[in-house]
Amino acid sequence: MAEIDWFPLALSLRVALIATVFVVIFGVALGWLLARRRFFGRELLDAAVTLPLVLPPTVLGYYLLVLLGRRSPIGQAIEAITGQSLVFTWEGAVVAAAIGALPLMVKTSRAAIASVDTNLEDAARTLGESELRVFWRVTMPLASRGIIAASMLAFARALGDFGATLMVAGNIPGRTQTAAIAIFDAAQAGRDNYALVLVLILSVVALVLVYSTNKLTTGER
Amino acid sequence: MTLSVRIKKALRSSGNRRNSESPGASAAQPFLLDVEFDVPPGFTILFGASGSGKTTTLRSISGIVRPDAGRIAINGEVLFDSAERIDLPIRRRGVGYVFQDLALFPHLTALANVEFGMSKVSRPERRLRAEAMMEALRISHAAGRKPREISGGEAQRVALARALAYQPRILLLDEPLSAIDEATRRGIISDLKSINRELRLPIIYVTHSRQEAVSLGERVIVYERGRVVAFGEPISVFGTPITASVARLTGVENIFTGQVVGKSEDAGTMTVEVSDATGACHVDVPFGNQALGEHVTVAVPSGDILLATEEPRSTSLRNRMRGKITAIDEELNRTVVRVNAGVIWSASVTRQAVSELALSEGQEVWLAFKTHSCYLVDRSS
Repeated sequence: MAEIDWFPLALSLRVALIATVFVVIFGVALGWLLARRRFFGRELLDAAVTLPLVLPPTVLGYYLLVLLGRRSPIGQAIEAITGQSLVFTWEGAVVAAAIGALPLMVKTSRAAIASVDTNLEDAARTLGESELRVFWRVTMPLASRGIIAASMLAFARALGDFGATLMVAGNIPGRTQTAAIAIFDAAQAGRDNYALVLVLILSVVALVLVYSTNKLTTGER
Repeated sequence: MTLSVRIKKALRSSGNRRNSESPGASAAQPFLLDVEFDVPPGFTILFGASGSGKTTTLRSISGIVRPDAGRIAINGEVLFDSAERIDLPIRRRGVGYVFQDLALFPHLTALANVEFGMSKVSRPERRLRAEAMMEALRISHAAGRKPREISGGEAQRVALARALAYQPRILLLDEPLSAIDEATRRGIISDLKSINRELRLPIIYVTHSRQEAVSLGERVIVYERGRVVAFGEPISVFGTPITASVARLTGVENIFTGQVVGKSEDAGTMTVEVSDATGACHVDVPFGNQALGEHVTVAVPSGDILLATEEPRSTSLRNRMRGKITAIDEELNRTVVRVNAGVIWSASVTRQAVSELALSEGQEVWLAFKTHSCYLVDRSS
C-alpha cells in the first residue's frame, strides 16, 4: 500500500473540534432560550434551527455560499476584517460543519435544560443568586450529562459533514479536502484501499461517540 | 417586621400542580385567588384544602409567580405593587422559602446546599454561618452527604438551614412536615418553635394538618377556593368554626343539616331535628335567633362526644342518646367510633378507652355531649 495521506483526517478533526466549540456555545444558549424563555416566535426559531437537519446539504451549502460570498454584507464584513473570504478555505468548512451540527446540539440541550426542575432554579433565586449564577451553579451542572452527550453528537456530526462543506470550502487537496471528501475522491479515482482506511476510521470514531452518548443519556444517574 | 399581603390572581387550573393528591374535581375549576392579610412576627398558619391557593400565595410573596393585581410589602418596603408597577426580582426580596419538595440541589452536599447563595458574604463567613445553622438544626453529621443520601427528616432540616442561613426577612414554609414520621415531626416542630423565639420573623406555614396548626400557630388563616374564610387564634378558629366548610376543613366530623323544632329561651336551648342518610334525631343546641322551622346546620367536634356503656345519668350533659356502634376506625393517634343513634355520629376516643370499655362493633353505647359543643354554622361556604 502506498504512503497514506493523513492530511484529510487531521483537517477533519481540526474542523470538527473548532466547529464543536462554536456549536456548544451557541447551541446551549439557544437551547436555554427555547427551554426557559417564552417569547413570540419561539417554536418558529426552533424550526429554523432544525432546518439543517432536514434540508439537502446542497441547499444548506448554497445558502452559506450566498451568505458568505463576496456580494453579501456578511461576506464583505468578514473579508474586511480578516483580509480574505471564507469561501474555499478550511475556515469555511468549519462554518459548514457547525451549521450542520447545530440542530442536534440545540435539540438535545433544550431537552436537557427543560428536564431540570424549575423549582431548583427558583430556590437558587430565593437565595439571592443572579440569573447568570443560577445558570452556572444549578441549570448547567444538572443538565451537564445531556449537554456533554449533545456535544459529542455534534462533534460526530461535524466530523462527517460532506455536502455543505464541499460547496463552501471546495475540494482542494492539502487545503480544504476533509476526510469525508477525500473518501469520495478516492472512491471515484479507484483508490479503494485509501478510501477503506478512512471509512473504517470515521466509522469507529462515530460508533464510539454514539455509544458513549447513549451510555451518558440512558445510564444510571 | 410585618409582611402585608394583598393578592388577586386568576388560577386557571389546579393551583397546586405539583401536588398529585389534589383532587381534580374542585381544583380543576378556574377560580380567583383574592386575599388580603398581615403577617406579624411569629407563626401564621395558612390552612386549607389542596388547590385552595396556599402555594400560589407563597409563590407570589417570593416573586416566583406574579399576581394579576395587589401589593406585597415588608415593613412598608414594597416588593410588589401592581398599581405602581413595582415587581422586585426574586433575589432582591429577602424571602426565605422552603419548598414543598424542598428543592435541595441534588448535585451538592448538604453543607454546600446550606452555603448556597450568600454570594455577597465572604467565603469564611459563609462557611461559619452555614456550619452554625447546621449545628443549631442538628444536621452537622450530614454535612458531607448528598441530598439522596440523607433521610427525609434530615433533608427537611437541611432545607430549613439553607433558608435561614441566608438570613431572610420573612420565612415561607410549604407543608414542610407532610412527608415525615411522627417522632421526627415533633422534633422539628420544637426546633421551629425555638427558631421562632430567637428570630421573631414573620413565618407563614402552609399545612392541612390540624395538629401542626394548633401546636405551632399563633394565628391561623383558613383558605377556601382562594378566599380567606376564617382568621384568628387556632383555638378560636378550630374551636368555634363559623362555617360548615371551615368545620369540615378543621376536622369537625359531625356536620348535619336540620330544622329548628323547639325553642326554650328560659333553658337557653333550642332543639334541632338533624338528619342524614341513615335517619334523624334530636339535639339540643345553644339558644339563638333562628326561627322555629328554620333550616340550620349543626357541627359537633368528634372529640367533644363522650361514650359510655351505661346511661350517663346525673350529669349536666343535655344531649344523651343511645346507639349502636357501626364501625371502629383506627387512625394515626386516635380512634374514631361511629355510632348510629338515628344519625351516624363520629366520636374520637383514645385506644385505651376502646379497650377499657371493651367497645366492639354492634355493641349498644350511650353518646353524650354538651349543648355548647354544638355549633350552628352557616351553610353557605
